[in-house]
Amino acid sequence: MRQSSNTFCGFVLVIATLISLAASGLANSAVETSPEYQVKAVFLFNFAQFVEWPPQSFEDAAAPFVIGVLGTDPFGSALEGAVRGESINGRSIIIERYRSVTEIRHCQILFISRSEAAHTGEIGAALAGHSILTVSDIDDAAQRGVMIRFVAENNRIRLRINADAAKAAGLSISSKLLRPAELVTSAG
Amino acid sequence: MESRRWIVCLLLVSSCGLNSRHAFCAAESESLSIGALKQLSIEELMNLDVTSVSKQPEPYGRAPAAIQVITQDQIRRSGASSIPEALRLADNLDVAQVNSHDWAISARGFNSALGNKLLVMIDGRTVYSPLFSGVFWNVQDYLLEDIDRIEVISGPGGTLWGANAVNGVINISSKGAKDTQGLYLETGGGEPELKSFAGVRYGGMLAPDVFFRAYGKYFDRGNEVYAAGNNASDSWNMRQGGFRIDSYGSPGNVFTVQGDLYGSDVNIAAGGTGNAAGGNLLGRWSHVISADVNTSLQVYYDRTRLVDPISNQFGTAEILTDDLDTYDLDFQHHIRLNERNRIAWGLGYRFTHDVVEQAQNLAFLPPTLNRHLYSGFVQDEVMLVKNLLFTLGTKLEHNDYTGFEWEPSVRLQWNVAADQMLWSAVSRAVRTPSRIDSDIREPDSSTPTLGGNSGFRSETLIAYELGYRARLGSKASASLSTFYNDYDRVRSLTFTPGTIVPLYFANDLAGDTYGLELSADYQLAERWRLHGGYDLLKENIRVKPGGFDFSNALNETQDPQQQFFLRSSVDLPRNLELDGALRWVDKLIANNNGLPATVPSYFELDVHLGWHPIPKLELAIVGQNLLHDHHPEYGIPIGIPDREEIQRSVYGKISYGW
Repeated sequence: MRQSSNTFCGFVLVIATLISLAASGLANSAVETSPEYQVKAVFLFNFAQFVEWPPQSFEDAAAPFVIGVLGTDPFGSALEGAVRGESINGRSIIIERYRSVTEIRHCQILFISRSEAAHTGEIGAALAGHSILTVSDIDDAAQRGVMIRFVAENNRIRLRINADAAKAAGLSISSKLLRPAELVTSAG
Repeated sequence: MESRRWIVCLLLVSSCGLNSRHAFCAAESESLSIGALKQLSIEELMNLDVTSVSKQPEPYGRAPAAIQVITQDQIRRSGASSIPEALRLADNLDVAQVNSHDWAISARGFNSALGNKLLVMIDGRTVYSPLFSGVFWNVQDYLLEDIDRIEVISGPGGTLWGANAVNGVINISSKGAKDTQGLYLETGGGEPELKSFAGVRYGGMLAPDVFFRAYGKYFDRGNEVYAAGNNASDSWNMRQGGFRIDSYGSPGNVFTVQGDLYGSDVNIAAGGTGNAAGGNLLGRWSHVISADVNTSLQVYYDRTRLVDPISNQFGTAEILTDDLDTYDLDFQHHIRLNERNRIAWGLGYRFTHDVVEQAQNLAFLPPTLNRHLYSGFVQDEVMLVKNLLFTLGTKLEHNDYTGFEWEPSVRLQWNVAADQMLWSAVSRAVRTPSRIDSDIREPDSSTPTLGGNSGFRSETLIAYELGYRARLGSKASASLSTFYNDYDRVRSLTFTPGTIVPLYFANDLAGDTYGLELSADYQLAERWRLHGGYDLLKENIRVKPGGFDFSNALNETQDPQQQFFLRSSVDLPRNLELDGALRWVDKLIANNNGLPATVPSYFELDVHLGWHPIPKLELAIVGQNLLHDHHPEYGIPIGIPDREEIQRSVYGKISYGW
């Protein structure tokens, strides 16, 4: 018993020391984004690693990899956080935000915000022939030709992928991404 | 033992969505670490509960305990074909294969042949046998594809889970029926261990928001060998099927009904054929009133029948049968009292009806035994200041052997930074008596060598733990857990004064153990992930003054002092996956009639090569224990039967899901 209580005292001392050592490291992060969009931001970054773009989708060999957000941006600083310090095949990654589809010049991944739900048809038409991976959480997006839709199910985020649409745009999606996803085709 | 806190919590989606956190839920909303999320695979990201993720970027990142989580993807990529093989993915466990169908599995030592300090649950159902407080691993199975994850906690969990959660808790969770929709098929086979296997599952919708799945599987496993390479005749096979229904139809309520049936035939190396059969049915209602208040009610029935040949001194096998019925009821309530306090409390009741038919030289008396277990727990998690949480709680149980048992604990969690946590705990845990301690007899002998001890008391543990977990940049994470365990009244084997026999169990051992568990993950390249782990365990168990033990205090601790693990997962071009797992296990010292015998230390290697020619289709080839023709992992060399050795084995698998 005596041995135990000595051990316990020693133990408390160790904890106290470690806590005081660690106390300097208190950190608070600044901008709050909803957890849902933090996770979606990381998904977007992951897509960059699991999809292959044809070389002509980039302006030149030194051009950055562009992730664009079309419409009202729900990500806050999460997208910047997700790509900070990262690169894709030697290309730096930049985030661009567009109010309208006509502003898009070179872009590899385009997130179409819910604010654009009424315009998915026009957006699809404007992007036809470009090698842009389109991603959205708008209902029925995948059936309307958007390549990847985030689907909220039971508080989790599922992926619904329209592989035909991606293929038509010259993109090849890794089975790593396809395997856990639900696959759909364009309606009608 | 009232023990499904973790699982039940999983279903309380809005309060504590990711189940592993429940016990040690962070009270405070943390800012999410993007760096932490980036370390998760696509599958893991899809499994995150985004309503609770603000508190916890990964399932176990904030749990102030020595917890490791084995994910579905890790199980698949390891090539594990059974639950014990999957448990090799947890660095904080010692997994030793005894023969083709038996395993000795423990955390932080005490991995004896009758290991009894680990609590194991499958979807909230406790699976240890009250015959010896241990687990018959050869009847714990599931369609591995439908396992969501396995959480392994080393260290005591008695405050929440009750007696037997002494050195660790293993919690195996299957996926919800919603996540297993469609058809899945797998089949394959190999040599010499896994001869053939097949599995099928179908999931669908019964009504809007009501999902079901049903599955069936079988396998046929070959013989292991003795040291000289001769056949040990211990092959086995198993069939299992089951279902699960989850209903989300009524807002704020989740109803689950699930059940399984299995049957297994085992050839026993010492002679004879054993079999096991059983089933279970479980219902659970989780009611979420708000993010801060929820309740759950769970009830289950479990039946097992074991038919086990017991060899006598002439080598002929007599049959011992055990029929066990378990009825279990559990209620929990979680509520946030105010800004600082979160309370969890619960009540449980378990009734077991056990009938043993004796063999010539082994019996449990009385043959029929009814046991009642009543339990309650209460726990308060207090936020002392921002980032510093203090948890105080206790379990109080009443069992029919030793009456009331307390299992209190205090736990401190310091969120040093967004990506760093320091935790510490002091806990008491008990291992209550089981039938082997009090009821075992050698009935048909004029001079019986074995007797029970109705005065056997609970073994006790006071554990002191200190741990640290951190992310080191966006590519690495590491965890260190240290412990000092102080045991008393540990089981010994003593003699009857005058006549020597019968020998019986007593509580004459005591002592301490200490050690550490270190694990680290590193993303070496975009498609290459490494994992390393190291365990150190020092055991100092001795006979108490005035006491006696026939085994010189060696029988309860057949443990490696060190273990080392290295795993690599690479995604290769052309949709290939290559995984390797190397392990080194230190020598074990066991007791051989009072004299120490050893299992030599060994390296072993498992490799999995998978190919996905199209999504959802996998062709895989798996090699297990590749470094030796055969090697021993457990036991003493000469006995009845002699020690078996585990062979190099290879199998192929094809699986497809719609």
